[in-house]
Amino acid sequence: MKRTIANAALLVLAAALPARTFAETSAPNWLVDTMYGSGKINTVVVVVSVVLIGLGAWMFTLDRRLGRLERDQKSRP
Amino acid sequence: MKGGWWKIGTVLLLLYVVIVGLRTPLAPALVHASVDRIAPGPVSFDIKGYNTHFTEGSVTAWLENDGQQVCSAPVEVLADDRARVTVTVPQGFRKPLTSVWVFTAKDGPIALHDAFFTEGLGDGITGTPCRPGGKYLRSGLAFPDRAILNETIRNLFFHVPMWFAMMALMTIAVWQSVRVLRSGSLEADRSALSAVHTSLLFAALGLTTGSLWARVTWGGWWTSDPKLNGSAVTVLIYAAYLVLRGSIPDAHKRARLAAVYNVFAYALMLVFLMVLPRLTDSLHPGNGGNPAFSTYDLDSSLRAVFYPAVLGWIGLACWAYTLTDRTERLNALAHEAHDR
Repeated sequence: MKRTIANAALLVLAAALPARTFAETSAPNWLVDTMYGSGKINTVVVVVSVVLIGLGAWMFTLDRRLGRLERDQKSRP
Repeated sequence: MKGGWWKIGTVLLLLYVVIVGLRTPLAPALVHASVDRIAPGPVSFDIKGYNTHFTEGSVTAWLENDGQQVCSAPVEVLADDRARVTVTVPQGFRKPLTSVWVFTAKDGPIALHDAFFTEGLGDGITGTPCRPGGKYLRSGLAFPDRAILNETIRNLFFHVPMWFAMMALMTIAVWQSVRVLRSGSLEADRSALSAVHTSLLFAALGLTTGSLWARVTWGGWWTSDPKLNGSAVTVLIYAAYLVLRGSIPDAHKRARLAAVYNVFAYALMLVFLMVLPRLTDSLHPGNGGNPAFSTYDLDSSLRAVFYPAVLGWIGLACWAYTLTDRTERLNALAHEAHDR
C-alpha cells in the first residue's frame, strides 16, 4: 500500500514537472550562465551526474530489497 | 567470478569512455564574429576562437563568398582566442552569406561559416587564393566543435547509449515473453518483468539527460519532436504493461496476458523510436528520411568513443538486469517457502 502511494505521488510529480517547465519562460541568469559558459561543458557535467545519480538510486532500491529479503530469511525459523 | 569477463569488460569500456570522452579536446574553431553584416568598403571586426592558438606563428584571414576569396590585411592578434581582422569588401558578391576563414600555423584552416550577410548582390569578384601553403601541426584526437553543440557533443556518449541500453533490455524482455508463450514458464515471466523494470530506469535516464541537453541546445526542456514524443509514448506503453500485470491476480493468466501485451509493446516501441522519427523532420540528427548512422555527423574521433560507449552501457544495463532478476528469483523462492 505504502509503495502504491509513493508510486502514485511520483507519477503525479512527473506529470507536473513538464507543465511547470512549459510555463517557465526564462531560467535564472546564474543557471543559464553556468550551463552555457566555457563552451557548455557544465551541461555535460550535469548529464553525467544525472546518470550517476540515477544508477545510485537504483542501487539503493536494490539494496533495500535485498535487505528485506535477508530480514525475512532471518526471522523465519 | 565465473563468467564474469563481460562485467570486467563493461567496467573497462565505461572507464575508457569517461576518460577519453571527457578528456579529448574540441578541435579549434571560430565561434563568434563581432559584426554580422558587411557592405562594400573597409570593415574591421573581432573574431573569437575556441581552443585556437592565434599567438603561435602567423595568422592569415580571408573572406569567402561562393568560393571566391578576399584576403584580409595583416591580422592583429589580441590573444590566443581573439584577433582583429581588417578587410576591404569588394563590390559584387554573388551570394548573400559570406564565411570568414583563419589559417594559423598550429590549427590549420578554420572557418566560421556564413558569418556575414551582405545586401545588394553582383556578378562576382576577382578573387585571389589567400590560403598560405605549407603544413600545419594539428595533432592528437579532437572532437569536432559544432555550432550550438560545442562541448555538449560529449553527451553523445552518455545520453544516446541510454536508449541503446533500453532497447537491448526490451529485446531481452520480449524474448522472455516469447518463452512464456511457448512454455507458460513463470520464471520467464519474472525475467520479462525484471527486464522491463530495468529498461525503464534507462529510459528515465535517457529522458532526463535528453531534456537537459535540449534546454541548452534547442532552447526548451521539451520540444514536440517526433523522437521525444515517441519515447514518452513508449515509456507510457511500458508503464501500462506494469499496470496490466497489477490488475490480474492469477499468476498463470497474468504471465500469458502480459507476454502477449509485451510483444505488441515491443513492436510499438520499434515504430515509435525507429520508424516514425524517420518519416518526419526531427531535431535529432539522422532523422527525416535517413538512417541514423550514415548521415549522423559522426567523424572517426567520435566513433572511437561512441561505439565503446554503446557496448559499455548495454553491458551495464544487462548487468543491472541480471541483478534485478536474481533478486526477484530469491524473492519468489522466499515467498514459495513462506506459502508452504
